Amino acid sequence: MQAFYRIFFVIILLLAAAPAQAQPKLNVVASLPDLASIAALIGGDRVEAFAIASGYQNPHFVDPKPSYITRLARADVFVTTGLDLEIGWVPPLLQSARNGKILKGGPGYVDASAGVPLLQVPASASREQGDIHIYGNPHYWLDPARGKIIAQNVYDALVRAQPAGQAYFAANLKRFNETLDQKMAQWEAKMRPYRGTRIIAYHNEWPYFEERFGLNIVDFLEPKPGIPPTPSQLAKVIRLMQQQAIKVIITSPYFKTDSADLVARKVNGQVVTLATSVGAFPEIKTYFDLFDFNVNALAKALQATTP
Amino acid sequence: MALLLLLAAGTVAAAQDRDSTAAADSLLLELEREMAAQATTPAQQVARAAPSTNPDISVIGDGRAWYVSEGQRNVDAEFHEAEFAFRSAVDPYARADVFVAVGHHDGAFEFELEEAYLTTLSLPYQLQLRAGKFRSTIGKINRIHPHALPFIDTPAVYANFFGEEGLNDQGLSLSWLVPNRAFFQELTLEVTRGPAEGESFAFDEGNRLLYTGHLKNFWDLSDDATLEVGLSGLAGPNPAGATTLMGGLDLTYRWKPVRFNTYHSLTLQAEAFLSDRDAGDGGRVRAFGLYALANYQLARRWFLVGRFDHADLPDDAAWNEHAASLTLGWYLTEYQKIELGARTAWRDGTDPVFQALVRLVFVIGTHGAHEY
Repeated sequence: MQAFYRIFFVIILLLAAAPAQAQPKLNVVASLPDLASIAALIGGDRVEAFAIASGYQNPHFVDPKPSYITRLARADVFVTTGLDLEIGWVPPLLQSARNGKILKGGPGYVDASAGVPLLQVPASASREQGDIHIYGNPHYWLDPARGKIIAQNVYDALVRAQPAGQAYFAANLKRFNETLDQKMAQWEAKMRPYRGTRIIAYHNEWPYFEERFGLNIVDFLEPKPGIPPTPSQLAKVIRLMQQQAIKVIITSPYFKTDSADLVARKVNGQVVTLATSVGAFPEIKTYFDLFDFNVNALAKALQATTP
Repeated sequence: MALLLLLAAGTVAAAQDRDSTAAADSLLLELEREMAAQATTPAQQVARAAPSTNPDISVIGDGRAWYVSEGQRNVDAEFHEAEFAFRSAVDPYARADVFVAVGHHDGAFEFELEEAYLTTLSLPYQLQLRAGKFRSTIGKINRIHPHALPFIDTPAVYANFFGEEGLNDQGLSLSWLVPNRAFFQELTLEVTRGPAEGESFAFDEGNRLLYTGHLKNFWDLSDDATLEVGLSGLAGPNPAGATTLMGGLDLTYRWKPVRFNTYHSLTLQAEAFLSDRDAGDGGRVRAFGLYALANYQLARRWFLVGRFDHADLPDDAAWNEHAASLTLGWYLTEYQKIELGARTAWRDGTDPVFQALVRLVFVIGTHGAHEY
């Protein structure tokens, strides 16, 4: 009889838990894998997060493949980087998705940049300056501290989409922020010896990372953002690196490294391919891994080249 | 005063970061950099808090020069077209797209409403309705504006069957995103009044309208490769007062590695149309046309397109026109390209006509969408 009661009790418990289980998972589509990773960390098993761009893809040039439209058509939440980073491919996808929830102004539309302090906001915008972004540099997710603001924005949207999950999402957000604080201390400690170190970057996409870890990016291999490296620019960079004993060039997975390699050979330096997004390399599975990877890779190169 | 304070704050911040061993010139460089960064900071709030309800505006210029081996004037140049695009959401329910072109026709510039339509944003059942004047949803390239195509000359099948500018008419378009989870499928049905002129289809004095349908199927073969198969069907009045029926097939295979997607890519594309035109006098003309092209991206800025055309005339199945063309495109940035084209066209029993073209296309204003 007691066994019967025990089974009965378990069944009641299961039934009570069932509504939470039966709650369909929220479909979250994010433009970039970093935003999808944050959504997955905050949403836990209550969301299905999908990223349109791959981690090793140039986020400026993603093709608006129709297959993404089917994903967006049934999305509850759409997270975008904003600041016109994805202007070539997010608007056409959203317009074809026929999903009012995720249009700008809809409850499921998340501009992850809301409230993020921006760098390099131009006083005037002219394409003479190359591919500039009129709202400011859009690569802000590369600063983990700004990741907290992204997480807050994503959290707000998840709560709007599923108010019943508020406590659950809040607990995950808290854990996310705590893990980030913990990790941040480690990352900063690791980078501390290299504060103020001058480096060169391929493309102007590291100002937030640079600011966070006290690096000093003095020039780029691209003469202007989006314009491929020219011999005159490379010569200028080589001279600069020789004069200032700069040894490290950082680049991104989607740029060919021939020009960076060439410059590095000339100055006896090193090229480090950093990850610009989650998934850039197989071991980078979450937003935290992204900085583990970048901090380790960069610290290793800086250590090897510091006399 | 505020600026002075900011500058002062900037100098202090710069001083903290400064490496004491720095050479004088690098110090100057750093100072300039800091000053530039500081000078732009106050704009931050202004730029983000200055929304505008103006539509997105862009102007696209298309200028051409050419040599042609037939006729009296063999060398010529023209500013082919300036297109003004205005695009914006109207309200939460619809968006509007208006394209006005000022084009060169026989020595004079003429205004033309290229497209102007309203598109719904959130109809139920994954439907989307478009109303106005628009390029018909048929085939693969008909929806694309000529300046965005990777070649200069219109494929013969389009030129012969629909006119140099493609099929562009006024009416309604309803498209349905088929709830197919296995692959992307979109069905578009359109009813339009009938184009003002054309051999295949033309405006009818009676109540007959032009009906078109297109089914687009799309598969991701892998992360790097996709396949698109489209089926088109058209039925409408022709200038002979009878009916033309048409069927079309379009195939596009695209290889574009996700990782280094700005360096190399390959597109293989073919379209074929079969037209069955009632001549009104009891006779019928069955005409056929196709083109096939390969577009290879040689390097970040260079594209090479080879194309073969074959086409009859919709009212003359014995026309048998052929053409082979090669276009080399140099894309300086996303906003400017220069194309060099060579084309030779021939018909059975006639001398081939050779043509060499240069085209310059530029875009100013809002960044347009990438084509896929």
